[in-house]
Amino acid sequence: MTRVTPLVPLAAGLVEGSAMTAELWYLLLGSLLTVAGLTRMMLTRDLVARLIAMNVVGVGSLVVLLSLAARSHAIDPVLSALVITGLVITVAFTGVGAVLIRRIESPGTSRQPHGGEQE
Amino acid sequence: MVTQLMPTPAGSALANLLEHPVVERTVDVVPLIMVLLSLTAAIAIFPLRDAQRGVRTTVNLLAAVAKVGLIAALVPAVVGEGLRPEFSMPFLPGIDLVLRADPMALFFGGLSALLWLLTTIYAIGYLRGTPHQSRFFGFFSLCVTATVGISFAGNLVTFLIFYEMLTLVTYPLVAHWGNPASLRAARIYLRYAMGGGLAVLIGVVWLTMYAGAVDFAEGGAEGVAELSERSPGVATVIFVLLICGLGVKAALFPLHGWLPHAMVAPAPVSALLHAVAVVKAGVFGIVRVIDDVYGISVADELGVLTPVLVVACFTIVYGSYQALRQNDLKKRLAYSTVSQVSYVVLGVTLVTELATTGGVVHLVHQGIMKITLFFCAGLFAEVVRVKAVDQMRGLGYRMPWASAAFTIAAFGMIGLPPTAGFISKWQLGQGAIASDHPWVLWVLIASSLLNAAYFLPVVYGMWFRDPPQDSESARQDSGAAQQGSSETRSVQVREPLMLAVPALCTAGFSVVVGLAAAVPFSPLSLAEYIAEGVFG
Amino acid sequence: MTPQTLFPDALVQFAIGGLVLLPLLAATLCVLLPHTPRRILGAFTALAVLVLSLPVVWQVSAGDVVQSALGGYDAPLGIRLRADGLSAAFLALTSVVGATTTLYAAAQPHSTGTRLLSGTGQVTASTGAVATGRGPQWEPSHAGFWPLWLGCWAGLNAVFLSGDLFNTYVGLELVGLTAVALVALGGRPSWAAALRYLFIAVAGSLLFLVGTGLIVAMTGTLDIEQASSTASDAGPADVLALTLISVGLALKLALVPLHRWLIPAHSGSPSAVSPLLSALVIKAALFVLLRCWLWLFDPDSTAAGLAWGLAGLGVLALVFGSIMALRQTHLKRLIAYSTVAQVGYWFLMLPLIVDPAAGNLEDQPGTELAPDDVVSGALAATVALALGHGLAKSALFLAAGYLKDVYGTDEIAALRGVGQRHPMLVMSMGLAAVGLVGLPISLSFTGKWKLATSAVAAGHYWILVVLIVATLLSAAYMLRVLAPLLIESEDDASEVPGPQVALSTYSRLAAYAPLLLGTLTIAAGLLGVWFEELLEVGAPW
Repeated sequence: MTRVTPLVPLAAGLVEGSAMTAELWYLLLGSLLTVAGLTRMMLTRDLVARLIAMNVVGVGSLVVLLSLAARSHAIDPVLSALVITGLVITVAFTGVGAVLIRRIESPGTSRQPHGGEQE
Repeated sequence: MVTQLMPTPAGSALANLLEHPVVERTVDVVPLIMVLLSLTAAIAIFPLRDAQRGVRTTVNLLAAVAKVGLIAALVPAVVGEGLRPEFSMPFLPGIDLVLRADPMALFFGGLSALLWLLTTIYAIGYLRGTPHQSRFFGFFSLCVTATVGISFAGNLVTFLIFYEMLTLVTYPLVAHWGNPASLRAARIYLRYAMGGGLAVLIGVVWLTMYAGAVDFAEGGAEGVAELSERSPGVATVIFVLLICGLGVKAALFPLHGWLPHAMVAPAPVSALLHAVAVVKAGVFGIVRVIDDVYGISVADELGVLTPVLVVACFTIVYGSYQALRQNDLKKRLAYSTVSQVSYVVLGVTLVTELATTGGVVHLVHQGIMKITLFFCAGLFAEVVRVKAVDQMRGLGYRMPWASAAFTIAAFGMIGLPPTAGFISKWQLGQGAIASDHPWVLWVLIASSLLNAAYFLPVVYGMWFRDPPQDSESARQDSGAAQQGSSETRSVQVREPLMLAVPALCTAGFSVVVGLAAAVPFSPLSLAEYIAEGVFG
Repeated sequence: MTPQTLFPDALVQFAIGGLVLLPLLAATLCVLLPHTPRRILGAFTALAVLVLSLPVVWQVSAGDVVQSALGGYDAPLGIRLRADGLSAAFLALTSVVGATTTLYAAAQPHSTGTRLLSGTGQVTASTGAVATGRGPQWEPSHAGFWPLWLGCWAGLNAVFLSGDLFNTYVGLELVGLTAVALVALGGRPSWAAALRYLFIAVAGSLLFLVGTGLIVAMTGTLDIEQASSTASDAGPADVLALTLISVGLALKLALVPLHRWLIPAHSGSPSAVSPLLSALVIKAALFVLLRCWLWLFDPDSTAAGLAWGLAGLGVLALVFGSIMALRQTHLKRLIAYSTVAQVGYWFLMLPLIVDPAAGNLEDQPGTELAPDDVVSGALAATVALALGHGLAKSALFLAAGYLKDVYGTDEIAALRGVGQRHPMLVMSMGLAAVGLVGLPISLSFTGKWKLATSAVAAGHYWILVVLIVATLLSAAYMLRVLAPLLIESEDDASEVPGPQVALSTYSRLAAYAPLLLGTLTIAAGLLGVWFEELLEVGAPW
């Protein structure tokens, strides 16, 4: 068995025909978005920016999934279902995150209940 | 000298009864009941409030008496009729938890049951009016649970479980007073004991992997014999691990450091620690490993016994020498324990039947005598605030009963006839002459001389010298009756009954087992029976 | 009487569905109810789930794999529930710990969080502890606990009973989302922790999702059984998928160096939430990890790098987590760091899976295990360690939370000598500590024993060293907690602080919950043999 980098066989299969290159581009774009989003998420301290970066990661990984789904001529329904679920869940998390950020950054709630301590 | 344990008519009637299948199955549960008895006592005691003294005392004493009764009932069945009641349940794949009543188990279990009863009585009197009693007696009962478990354990894994449990439950007892000294002592104790426990754990796991689950068997386990034939190197390393781990609790020479510190514990705890529970558990484990796991002949062939013998001899002399240097009474007794306990190790490593008998019987004899000494030390400290050896002059007039008990036990420690100590030393000496290492006799003699050197002056001072005049603290603390008057310090003080009676009982025992050594079911005859089993 | 006749098949089918749907239904109902009925409903749901899990666990331990297709839809897109030995083990843990903690929370509403009262209005007098005056008002007890926790419970059961990756994913998300919200119940100091947890949870899920997508792209199905049977020999794409899934789950498991979110999340959350997070929520990720490594893939030497890498991090976690735990001054943070450490144990088995016969010893009996036995032993060990951790940690967190609620602080120095006032509580912590350290008898000891046996059989001796060092370190930090609680220094002038909250009858009863869990930690050590047989049911070998 030849040792190749994991993505290459997938990509190689995609490059074969010119009709497939669109999926390859989406695959690369998705990966790029995911990595960029993850980097931003880890580096920034601004909470809202983090939340948005989180959404970028979400979109990136969903694009990866979609490009995988589009490999076959009939689009894989299972993968599409995964993408839709992923979307819904990301939205739900974003909502919760937004509420938390609003609470954290709103003034007037700074008085702590008993025993609270933070790092 | 060998005692015949002939079945008596009553014994054969008992045998018929025991062969009945229902009874046989019931008998099998007895070892489990023994363990559960004190565990139940502990569970019942913990939630009690400190003020509920009556309930606590009742539970304690009921459990203690019941246990002594059960052991007494088992002795004829096991020794006379050769029954081996055994309870087992699966624990890990291929490994069972086994509780078995073999002669060795009964021997040690009997000692712990009897001394637990007496120590409980003593502790109730000793701790009267102090806080945290429920915690104390709860852990006290757990400690005894662990000790009984150790004595009845039928294989190494079961032994290990109770051995580790013992480490944990004695910690709060040593730290009971809660002052910095006792917290420190408890920490030191725990570090030593956990380290030793870990060595034992590794040894047991290793041995189990190579030789399967190791059941204790009289004469050694088969799997271990095979292992030591196949790869003697591994068998030796495992042996060393086990002995080093057990040697921590047994206070063998370089590993004894915790014991003198631990004497800050309350007197009943020290008594139990030195006489039955911790130190004895270590020695008992060593005896089990040498005699019932490896088997004495296998261990002898491996050549691992002589180094242990040498360490034991050194510990004996070293402990005695250190004891001589201590002024604090409990410290002196602690070093004396270091020395005395190694007699047992010495006995089982000499590879003669007589020496093994002597070593095993010393397990009980030392326990009875040492617990007496600690009872008395506690009495002196409580009643007249005497804690140092040089303050003990003239105590014979003030506390005659306690002093008498102390004297008897001290004579026993030196090995004067007709006390129990004499029997052990006689057996050990004979065994040494018959063995390959006759020079051990000189160790015994030297140790006896040292024992005499650190006990006889104390005893002489107690009876034949005047009380110290300059001790301010003694005057202040020795009770209302004495206050302010130097004359009255030589007057007898009232010795609390609950403290004095257990001390006198154990002192009495140490004479009785010495005098009645040839009677059936005496410790000596049991030890002979065990030694016969060891040598096939 | 055979086990089959004890519970009719229909009942088992009903039970397996009910385990997921009942908490979900109760969670929905809870939203409509005021606080006190929520408590009652929650308590009854907890008991019902406990009862429902009995027939399932029983049936599985009798040797059957229980399956049920909800609504009649079958794989790949249907909801198929499937309980094998691994599911049953985790299900049992969840039911026991979940029910105990729920009852505790019902009896002790204090423990469910603090709620911000928007106005400057009055504080309910009955609950007491809150300062009056200017500024925002906080009220102890948070009714939001009930729907969130019941939803979380449904998610946990869905993960454990799921037969396909899609439901596993949905279940994980439900658990993650509710867990984040549960952390946020702790009031202002825990909001930041909750948000941090949220980011980690989402990142982990997305990585897991992409890995799942790769699997679907390769095998065309989400069903674990179908996927593993269609998967050919492991290629680089498999390893990539496994890597994505493992890293995603490692984020949720707080494997060092991804552990930093766990400390504030677990230590800052309300008293009834911390035990659930620590004992159950991270177990969901562990469960999926085990499923993927052992059922979905059949990793051989191609995944060796990944396995060794994760195991290396596991060792690091054990050492680093323990050392950090030793340095903590607050009870709950110490326990949280201990979780970080213990997570390491669960990754030690991975090199054994990829390389089960590295080098057997020369013909020693007891060390000759077939590779399958090594893997099954390692799995049994890991599950035993995880379950032991769940029981012990829930007991510890419940007890620590109780002390924090009653005394207003969890600083160890300030709690010195509380054992005098709460002997049962400190006793239960002691039992849990024995379980956590893995002294004999306890479930963790069983686990360590099996791990050691498998490791020796496979020639992986380094695991023994790790086990010994980790055991010593854990003993050290548990002692550091327990000794001051148990025994106060008499020379110390500082008195034991008085309780800040009046103890009600309920809360005295509630103090028995950690005792129950602590006792179970020890008692479960006797189940070692049963446990090994249970895990054989539906095993991949």
